[in-house]
Amino acid sequence: MVDQSAARTWTMRAAFIGISLLIMFFHLLPLETTPRRWASPDLLVCLCFAWALRRPDYVPALAVAGVMLLADLMFQRPPGLWAALVVMAVHWLKLRERRQRETTFLLEWFTVAGCLITITVIYRLVLLILIVPSGAPFLTLMQLAMTILFYPVVVVLSHLAFGVRRSAPGEVDRLGHSL
Amino acid sequence: MARDRFNGDEYTGPLKRLLLAVLVLSLLGLFLVWRIDSPRVERFRAQVLDTVVPNFEWAMAPVTASVKLLRDFRSYNNIYEQNQELRRELRQMTSWKEAALQLEQENARLRDLNNVRLDPRLTYITGVVLADSGSPFRQTVLINVGSRDGIVDGWATMDGIGLVGRISGVGDTTSRVILITDATSRIPAVIQPSGQRALIVGDNTAAPPIDFLENPDLVRPGDRIVTSGDGEVFPPGLLIGQVAQDPGGRLRTRMAADYERLEFLRVLRDHGARKVSQPSALILPDVPPGTGTPPPSDTPAAPAGGNDG
Repeated sequence: MVDQSAARTWTMRAAFIGISLLIMFFHLLPLETTPRRWASPDLLVCLCFAWALRRPDYVPALAVAGVMLLADLMFQRPPGLWAALVVMAVHWLKLRERRQRETTFLLEWFTVAGCLITITVIYRLVLLILIVPSGAPFLTLMQLAMTILFYPVVVVLSHLAFGVRRSAPGEVDRLGHSL
Repeated sequence: MARDRFNGDEYTGPLKRLLLAVLVLSLLGLFLVWRIDSPRVERFRAQVLDTVVPNFEWAMAPVTASVKLLRDFRSYNNIYEQNQELRRELRQMTSWKEAALQLEQENARLRDLNNVRLDPRLTYITGVVLADSGSPFRQTVLINVGSRDGIVDGWATMDGIGLVGRISGVGDTTSRVILITDATSRIPAVIQPSGQRALIVGDNTAAPPIDFLENPDLVRPGDRIVTSGDGEVFPPGLLIGQVAQDPGGRLRTRMAADYERLEFLRVLRDHGARKVSQPSALILPDVPPGTGTPPPSDTPAAPAGGNDG
């Protein structure tokens, strides 16, 4: 029983990294070499937030940092800044996770949207201050909106496919701490 | 139980928080280092891509091919009209071919008279497109040739017909091409019949605008745009595309390269190209203009500059 739950935690951590690599893989496929008028949702951030609010132990800060830094490097973004912001946001959401357990999904969605908007604004501001060219604001807005819209989809999919759901009130981990 | 949890937080909390702080600080530090010393971090980025992307390669080709197959399949239902249209175009093409053959013969004769020798230094290496930038903000592709094949930063990249972009970031087996459509791309160009010089300024749209034109009245939609060789960025005379006018009256470039399907790219070996070794090397010339004798490598570019008066 004890080993099983530890094994499950590690499996899910590996699954998180695996899904992230898969998302990056599909982003990198050379299907669209003409400039796009639309921006796809940032599914990696959706995944981090959804899992952090459900099972914080599946998304350790180190894994989030590693995945987001790799994404920064792969997608030609300024390396480190977006990763740092996402790590901080995930940590903040993890702290709220215990309080959020009784609230409705709508409220959670608003929290996540607020979080996304905040880190996007900080990201754009920092790039503006350091005079880094950061692309069309329209595309950023579109990506933000798409990410917020796709958040419930990611939640439902990770619930159905990977069984990532909030732990029940009485559940305990292997050391007897409540989850 | 509650007390238990409290104790647990007490013992693991500070350590975890310290770890988190170190993590965030090192990420921000990396960002600042990138801002200050970009080439070093970009080289690191090229190396990371060089190790990661070839691992995906076995899966990338079949997945890309099947997605493209599905897209093509959707267009099968109007294949009849397509066929008719192709036949009509083919008939036009045969007449064009006749004209082209005649022109080619004439050209060969004239060249013979002029004793022109084409530049033998422009040979090329062909690479396959592995991946795109993965983000809507950047227009770049990754190709499967790198420093192992002798690729050097700054070389021009073409598809069969037109200029596609410029090498920026070389790993051992991969290198990145910044496309003309990327917002950081600036290509010095000449517009053909009038000889007007301009910059093709990438702005993340499919048709980059033409900027810094001296006299826009001399330029008409349909004129050819070729690279000028100014600033030794590219060898002169590579076809970029045609002039087009958007509804707002702004002159833009209709690119000759087929950006819809970039699969194979030619990287032109350009041994006259200036090596970019330090961050400001591309902007500042070695000898400021007008202070000393020009470097001897300028001689091939000089005749091109002479005939625009």
